[in-house]
Amino acid sequence: MNKVIPRIALRNLSRQKKRNILLGGAIAFSIMIVTLVNGFTGAFIENVSENFAYLMAGHVFIQGSERTASGKKISAIRDDSIIFDAIANSGIKYKTATRSSEASATLVFEGKSTSQNLTGFDLENSGFLRERLVLKQGTWDAVKAPDALIISEKVAKKLNVLPGDRVTARLQTVTGQNNIADFTIAAISVDSSIIGSAMTYVNLSYLNEAIGLKPDEYTSLNLMLDDLKDSAPFADRLYTSMKGMGLQLFDRNQKNESGSTTPFQAMLQSQNKETWEGVKYRVYTIDDVLSQAKQIVIALDTASTVVLIVLFTIIMIGIANTFRMVMYERIKEIGTMRALGVQRGEIRSLFLYEALFLALGGALAGIILALLGMNILQLINFGMDSPAFLIMKNGHLSFSLPPLRAIGNIAIIAVLTLVSAFFPARAAAKMEPAEALRTLK
Amino acid sequence: MHPPIRSYGNSHKSRYTVLLLLLTLAFAIPLSGFAQTLSIPAAQKLVKELDDQSNFPGKDYTALFTIVSEKPGEKQTVTQVRTFRRDTKKQFTFLVMLPEVNKGQGLLREGDNIWFYDPTSRKFTHSSIKENLQDTEAKNSDFTASSLVDDYTVNAISEGTVGKYPVWVLDLKAKTNEVSYDRVKLYVRKDKAMMLKREDYSVNGRLMRTSLFPKYVELEGKLIASQILILDEINKGEKSQITLTEQSVEKLPDKVFTKAFIEQANS
Repeated sequence: MNKVIPRIALRNLSRQKKRNILLGGAIAFSIMIVTLVNGFTGAFIENVSENFAYLMAGHVFIQGSERTASGKKISAIRDDSIIFDAIANSGIKYKTATRSSEASATLVFEGKSTSQNLTGFDLENSGFLRERLVLKQGTWDAVKAPDALIISEKVAKKLNVLPGDRVTARLQTVTGQNNIADFTIAAISVDSSIIGSAMTYVNLSYLNEAIGLKPDEYTSLNLMLDDLKDSAPFADRLYTSMKGMGLQLFDRNQKNESGSTTPFQAMLQSQNKETWEGVKYRVYTIDDVLSQAKQIVIALDTASTVVLIVLFTIIMIGIANTFRMVMYERIKEIGTMRALGVQRGEIRSLFLYEALFLALGGALAGIILALLGMNILQLINFGMDSPAFLIMKNGHLSFSLPPLRAIGNIAIIAVLTLVSAFFPARAAAKMEPAEALRTLK
Repeated sequence: MHPPIRSYGNSHKSRYTVLLLLLTLAFAIPLSGFAQTLSIPAAQKLVKELDDQSNFPGKDYTALFTIVSEKPGEKQTVTQVRTFRRDTKKQFTFLVMLPEVNKGQGLLREGDNIWFYDPTSRKFTHSSIKENLQDTEAKNSDFTASSLVDDYTVNAISEGTVGKYPVWVLDLKAKTNEVSYDRVKLYVRKDKAMMLKREDYSVNGRLMRTSLFPKYVELEGKLIASQILILDEINKGEKSQITLTEQSVEKLPDKVFTKAFIEQANS
């Protein structure tokens, strides 16, 4: 391989420093923007899932569904020993197992009312809630009361309640009967997000009594794993293990034919069509619930690619024009090189090498700038009470750039630059040496 | 000394008077007692009569419900729903006419499934008969065929008055734990099977909702409530007044009870 041509190309780049720095800067800027967006979207789904996992106290969830003689479906796990046997048999490990019950309720206080989703946990011993929920008013000691309720700031404002106030909840039992329960506001939490503010936490046994379950029964077993990425394989192995033990299970691979937007919704809809006796279990992951978040990521990624293309269309025009100008500037030089025996292909390669080095240099600078930007942005602490809490990691913006994505962006830039420079390079290569030497341009 | 004859005669007369009085009391007390009690089977029959009053087996029933809802600190809202019922097949179709923002929404019962139609997404999703109709105090079940006798047993009977009317107070207990309200109290006029008031209680025995039925109309020989006032007993001040108009038992085409009908109503 002829190493002289790349060396000349490198030397040529340093001849017009200002022009090439501007061109390389444009390339670096576009790569930096796209890399920042890619880095953000790369961490987006992971942050949203992880934050949700904490709010919902698990990465993998198991729910039991019973069908009554009249065809009504009741959500309840009355005996979980067989589930824990299945987990033990599968050999998989989890960090924590949390029992929870849920109910939709209308909270009423002095003429004001609002709909909330009540989640019942063992509040006193729920470490994950203490880690993630920032209390604005009230104390964690107050949640020891059986009728304690932790409400978000926004909902507290809507109801005009303060810690110590008694609110009435209108809810339904698991069999669909209307019931009433009184709660005492134990604490008011800082709004973490639109979804986070919709979560209201109460004590499991108290909620169970209100929804017609026994104190040791519940509606969902939430398993927290060491790593979010293990969720799907964990759920698959648990599903197989439970199936192997003869338990009835809803198919984990429901298709979204019914127009449902998430695999979890598809699973719920399939329940309406099926008939069974006894308990049938659902095993699903946080990703099954949050698949819509992935659509946001796809949309952001698509937008960043469009931005890259638009930016680069502009830059390509600039590169094509610059190289055409370079070609005219170097006509005599090309003529001399050709007269000295440099072949047409080598002249073309010289131009293309120049373009390639320019693209690679710009792209590399762009990636470095993006990485620097990411590190600086990651240092800013937005706090756990930030409205964008759900997309952050412990109150900090976080970025995750898949290496293949970065390499792909560099490759796109390199190819587009080569395409832009190809036509001026071909024109330069086609020049007759004598004619080039004669030209006065 | 013997008493004078007159005096004897007088004594005889007063004995007759006492005897007559005793006889009157002997008959009057049990009779009055009979009139003031209602046996459980008779009460159960009365509940069945109430169901029959609002159900139209073998016929179709159409009505326009106008619901005016009030919530403390909020503006009054008006909801209008046209209902179509075919009680024999347990079918119904509801079409929301007002408010304008919800116009076109529909509810359909197909067998055991209740479907809610959203004209914006043009999709049907599963719903429940136990849910509230729009943002009112009324539940979907308030507009369907009544099935009190199937769902409840009479637990206790007492007397009372609603306004100027003496009523039987029938305390009903749900037969299963799948009925919306575990306990219901019906205030039924003594002189005819006409419910004037209904109280719905939670599983833990707290009064949740009171419904008053001040106006009735006669349709096909049956007494149908034409005005209902529903009071929320948990959030005091929250209430809905329902007015029923355009009630009819004319035969409806079968297509009325299909998804296509609700979709076409929006096209």
